[in-house]
Amino acid sequence: MPERNTPQKTLESWKQIAAYLDRSERTVRRWEATEGLPVHRHEHERQDTVFAYRHEIEAWSRLRTTCPNPFSVDGADNLPAPTPVVNAYLVEHDAITRTMHRYIAGARAGDSDLMRSAFHPSATISGYCLGVEYTGSVEHVFQWIDENGPAPNINPRFARIEIIESIAVVHLEVQHWSGKLAGANARASDVFTLLKRNGEWKITHKLFHWHDQ
Amino acid sequence: MKSEYLSEYDNIVRTMQMYIDGSKQGKSELMRPAFHPSASFFGYAGEQLAVGTQFLFDWIDKNGPAPNIEPRFVSVDILESIAVVRLEVAEWSGKLAGSGVRMSDLFTLLKTPGGWKIIQKAFHWHATEQSLAA
Repeated sequence: MPERNTPQKTLESWKQIAAYLDRSERTVRRWEATEGLPVHRHEHERQDTVFAYRHEIEAWSRLRTTCPNPFSVDGADNLPAPTPVVNAYLVEHDAITRTMHRYIAGARAGDSDLMRSAFHPSATISGYCLGVEYTGSVEHVFQWIDENGPAPNINPRFARIEIIESIAVVHLEVQHWSGKLAGANARASDVFTLLKRNGEWKITHKLFHWHDQ
Repeated sequence: MKSEYLSEYDNIVRTMQMYIDGSKQGKSELMRPAFHPSASFFGYAGEQLAVGTQFLFDWIDKNGPAPNIEPRFVSVDILESIAVVRLEVAEWSGKLAGSGVRMSDLFTLLKTPGGWKIIQKAFHWHATEQSLAA
């Protein structure tokens, strides 16, 4: 939170990000793929030209320390290098889950700054919560996330990812929602629509159903 | 007795039919009632990013009749108050579409007190060599 208004210092490569976190490049790449490490890609440049904001990395790192991910594999630096992905569908699938993990990281931390980069600037939201319709700008989501605060026990699952060239739909089921607004142990079904833009997948719409308890 | 899924399925398909009728006749007024007032619209028309339902309605009116479109419901997924419909439309034609083109659509719908409404249409236009040249 205090970093929010400080100048955004950037790390300009995988090497710098790895050095900043004192880990190998392979580990930080894996963290991006599986744990939502907030890494951005330069538009109009080759796919692997990346950068990261220090304040985002720090926020992610604090969160990771306090809420260990049960699926994380520490010490995996010793594992053999992953087979290069050659399947075009899997490349896009991985890019989409990377975007979705930013949403998940923000939801878990109760910090909308972690998820903003996952959304298209014109993204919208709609759905009902306790009979009230919420329809409008994605800013509603960001406000809700910040007011709700941490939800360390959320258990998100990708129920479906469907990709049609430049568009995609992701059905995310999230159990064990908690927080100031969510209450305890709530469940949400989310349908995200994504658009591929300059090689990056951005959420254009979040449609939700909040399951009454 | 119809199952709950089937009756919701029928309601969703009725909403979608307004979109199909409007597309076929080139009249956006036929499809407007299917859309939520806050609905959004996203996709690429060539290199250009098209955003906003007004873009869609204008396009439909300017394109004019597309009598031979072949719409198919690939999937209709319903999660209580929300739904996702994947529609594949072959044989698009018209002043803007050209002829024999194909479009993939992902519609998301919200169940409102006034029935199922389209809240977003995301599309992918499968460009043919002909339409790329245009």
